[in-house]
Amino acid sequence: MRIFIIGVLTAFFVSCTSEKKPDDQEFLKSLESTEEKTGIDEDVINAILDQIPSPLEISVLLKESGSKYNGALLNQSDNLPKYNNNYKKALNLGVYGTDLGYTNIYGQNQDGIKYISTIKSLADELNIGQFFDIETIGRLATNSKNLDSLLLITTLNFNHINHYLQSQGRDNLSVLLLTGGWLEAMQITCQVAAKKPSKELFEKIGEQKIILEQILLLFSFYKDDTNMAGLLKDLELLKAAYEKVSINYTYKESSMEIVNGVAVIKDNSTTTIDITEQNVEEIRTITNSIRIRIIS
Amino acid sequence: MKKIIFLILFSSAFGVGAGEIVQQCNSDNLANECIPKLSEGFNFLKSYKVDGTAKDRIEYSYVFMKGTQYMINLCASGAVTDGLVVSILDKDRNKIASSKINGQFVSAIAFPCNASGIYYIQYTFDDPSSHCGGSALGFKR
Repeated sequence: MRIFIIGVLTAFFVSCTSEKKPDDQEFLKSLESTEEKTGIDEDVINAILDQIPSPLEISVLLKESGSKYNGALLNQSDNLPKYNNNYKKALNLGVYGTDLGYTNIYGQNQDGIKYISTIKSLADELNIGQFFDIETIGRLATNSKNLDSLLLITTLNFNHINHYLQSQGRDNLSVLLLTGGWLEAMQITCQVAAKKPSKELFEKIGEQKIILEQILLLFSFYKDDTNMAGLLKDLELLKAAYEKVSINYTYKESSMEIVNGVAVIKDNSTTTIDITEQNVEEIRTITNSIRIRIIS
Repeated sequence: MKKIIFLILFSSAFGVGAGEIVQQCNSDNLANECIPKLSEGFNFLKSYKVDGTAKDRIEYSYVFMKGTQYMINLCASGAVTDGLVVSILDKDRNKIASSKINGQFVSAIAFPCNASGIYYIQYTFDDPSSHCGGSALGFKR
């Protein structure tokens, strides 16, 4: 799943092409959801953010599993005017980033184009528009052969945006971007699994327990932020559902051989993921209700 | 695609680098150099700076997923790997893979993951000329 954030990540592109400076009023507005400078250790936050896979990874899996494109699963770009505070803007920037990545992977250019301007608008309103080169985004996002470049650019850009937000004491927005992107990928995966159940998809959903734990860890640093505390409560409901899912890891020494100058590993360790159809349905229901609150 | 990647790296390197103090270890550049060197078929996920001028071990973590194949490569300023070694450790710190095998250094690890979880990507140095390098992580299904 960082083909996800990371994903959020999908939305984040090439470095500064404009030198737009936020005016004072905009800047103060941008701090509205921060409430106060967090004083949270940047390195700790970065280490957690860094390990979360891009949402695009799971979108690739969906396509490769034979799942058909379904634009109805995505957030509609005309929902944009509903997002009138930074909390909603950041979450939905993550959501739309994942949606853009999904359209790219399936080569659905017409749908992808709609998301590009939406993403740019939200980024501008969050005063991070300077990190988005709309031309490059457009070129990459409308050519599914450019997934690699899209991932590169989104990753680099997320790093720049995250660094910038942290320098302003707005690191909570980085966490919201990531969370929005992840929840959208979760929602898409759960809906696909409901329509066409498979062991592989169920396991993918089960594995997200690992990511959720990391996201909850991030949220634990922002309990004083009213908006984030509200979302944390929702995520804890999801956590409760995931407590019925078990991931059992068995370590067994791996073996290696060198092939064409590359160390090729044979991973003998395994994980078994115990997840039932009922578990998936509960996770899907909770994810969907959280996501509806986010996009409404 | 290669041109696009080059342009991205070029603009990124200069955009970020301008105004910064010149460092002894330009791990940023080395990390960027590693990205286009990922083997064909692997999609880029992350690049890592490996600046060992102040510490002997640099560590990152990442969630690897079962059923996905990952590749981690290495770039150094001198010889191919210049003593730079990357190891993958599981959440319990069991060593899963290393780019140093029986005394031989290789510049990349291919890791078909069979167990989902948090892994540590650890960089160490084995008699290097400089404690400096870069690395990139890619994936394919």
